[in-house]
Amino acid sequence: MKNFSVFSFNFPWKIQRRQSVPVWLNVLVRLLAVLLAFLVVGFFLKLGGINLFSLLQKAFKQILGNFYGVQQAIILATPLLMTGLSVALCMRMSLWNIGAEGQFLIGAFMATGVALNFNGPLPVMLVIIFLAGALGGLLWTLVPALVRTFWNVNEIITTLLLNFVAVFLVNYFAIGPWRDKTAPTLSATPRLPYELPTFGDTYLHIGIIIPIIAAILLALAFKSTKLGYEIRIIGTNRRVAEFAGMPVRERMLLVMLLSGAIAGIGGMIEVTGTVHRLSGLLSNNYGFLGIIVAALANGSPIAVIFTSILLALLLNAGIVLQAQGLSVNTVIAINGVILIFAAIGESITHYHLVRIEVPQKSVEANAQVLESECPGLPEKQVQYIKTESGK
Amino acid sequence: MNSVLMGVLVSAISAGTVIILAALGELLAERSGVQNLGLEGIIAMGAVTAILAESRIAPNPYIGLLIAILVGLILGAVFAFATVTFKANQVLCGLGMAFLGNGLSAKLGTSISGLPAPSTFETIRIPLLAEIPFIGNLLFNQSLLVYLAYFVFPPLVYFLLYQTRHGMHVRAVGDNPATADVCGIPVNKIRFIYTCVGGAFAGMSGAYITLAYTPSWVEGIAGGRGWIAIALVIFGAWKPLPVVFGALLFGGVTSLGFVGQLQDWAIPSAYLSMLPYLSTIALMIFPVLLKGKNLRRISASPAGLGQPYLREG
Repeated sequence: MKNFSVFSFNFPWKIQRRQSVPVWLNVLVRLLAVLLAFLVVGFFLKLGGINLFSLLQKAFKQILGNFYGVQQAIILATPLLMTGLSVALCMRMSLWNIGAEGQFLIGAFMATGVALNFNGPLPVMLVIIFLAGALGGLLWTLVPALVRTFWNVNEIITTLLLNFVAVFLVNYFAIGPWRDKTAPTLSATPRLPYELPTFGDTYLHIGIIIPIIAAILLALAFKSTKLGYEIRIIGTNRRVAEFAGMPVRERMLLVMLLSGAIAGIGGMIEVTGTVHRLSGLLSNNYGFLGIIVAALANGSPIAVIFTSILLALLLNAGIVLQAQGLSVNTVIAINGVILIFAAIGESITHYHLVRIEVPQKSVEANAQVLESECPGLPEKQVQYIKTESGK
Repeated sequence: MNSVLMGVLVSAISAGTVIILAALGELLAERSGVQNLGLEGIIAMGAVTAILAESRIAPNPYIGLLIAILVGLILGAVFAFATVTFKANQVLCGLGMAFLGNGLSAKLGTSISGLPAPSTFETIRIPLLAEIPFIGNLLFNQSLLVYLAYFVFPPLVYFLLYQTRHGMHVRAVGDNPATADVCGIPVNKIRFIYTCVGGAFAGMSGAYITLAYTPSWVEGIAGGRGWIAIALVIFGAWKPLPVVFGALLFGGVTSLGFVGQLQDWAIPSAYLSMLPYLSTIALMIFPVLLKGKNLRRISASPAGLGQPYLREG
């Protein structure tokens, strides 16, 4: 007598968790989140007398209208892609790397240290600088990774707090021991003697290829290696992975360190390819924006390529329109709203409404069930149930 | 030497106040099962709106405080709407809220950046108690928010959580929402309310920064205090009194940096500025080291923390 409800009215729908979310829905929901965020922020800016959409239109015309603007966008997308990959990798394992900002800075810091203090032929030095950048990012995640893996200390807070330490450290060296004495107004190190070669006459350097290779490698690793499979399983259900005998702790440690190394390489590319001088302002919130890049891409390395370009355009718009009332801060606020909407959207896609199938029984059928299951029920009561259940 | 110690203590108490206010609010929210990582953004918004309210409405710190609390409440409600009503991922929403608060506060504060606050909280001298040598002047000649942070809110939160039926419900909701729901406790209502309360506390903490601690606004004034508050909730094992202790400890380390700068210690000030962040990380690891393999302290976290609750049938 499962759905035999006498007095209560049953709403014929219920909310149920989906087993899996289709890809198109994931994409749709994220696009909607971006759109909604713009509408909401645009509405508030309109109250303040700023028309966000005409401003953005102007910005995009300025950015995409000529080759210089496109180059700028690609160059901005490069660090975002690296930090985005770094966060996405951890995300796959249900870990949060909020410290990409610091790892990025320390990667650049180590690269600068090597570039300023050692001499050698350019190709050799570039390889060493690359390794130094990776090592810097890796070292900066070492403590959070170890304490998370072995003592379960919240990695969100530890990685985040190290960002502040990284900024102080880099600032100290950039305006202290390593300061360019010939140009003291810059508050930065001297121009690095080694830089990544550029393509022909453009500003584009070979550093823009590294993140794309990294994205493809990560995607392949997730898709078709044992390690990638283990990471996916541990990310979805750690207990299942443990029961299956997977080396959960080793994998967690590996993923966090690798994630730090990727962000560190991003910093190294930025300082040797684009900026050429280390300063405390090297990272334009790239580490934080990387979280949004990864969240919008749902942790997929290939999708990170596209979302990083989207965010690069947005960030560039903020930089281009500094004078007209838009600013990097506005862009960051917009990104915050995007992130909240994307999270809401993602949550909604995980549930769907299911119609509850209630077998429709007639009064007579109910009565039969009643008589067969409870023989000897007083006539008056049977009559009552019959009339009530018919309602 | 005595004056150095005194200086450290004085500034430790104010530095601790900022953290205690934010951390107690976060503690309440986390006890009900919602981890609001957007604390940093809410503090920044509270800080900027408090000083804006003073310069736009009236140069009265209490008006600034009120507006900051209101703004914190609203942002807490936005966060609760996303995470409690729509069950969105709390980490993502928290980061989103941190970005939103940091970006928006910087945008709002451009016109008043670097200017001193029109008026600040006056100190209220408690008669008799303030006459106690050494600690009297230190503890009982402070502004309203300091008294609230050290003497009123911690016992109040303790009483609410551990001595009332309602507090038991809050803890039940945080530990096991499904069971609480079966017992007829309105899970999502309690979570929504306490997330808003947490936001209001963070707003208050922001107001204390700009109206008493460093009475002016500059971009990035929150300086990671929101994150440190969250870390101290973890250090304090989600109990109000250890959180206060942790905040004081943090305040002491912070003020060591200030004093070091004033006294021209041989350590570069950049390293002293790192101390609060490094010591917070140490504080997070410390309880684990203390207990070794005994993981009781870690599992002190509310069992349902960070997990949205939806009645599925």
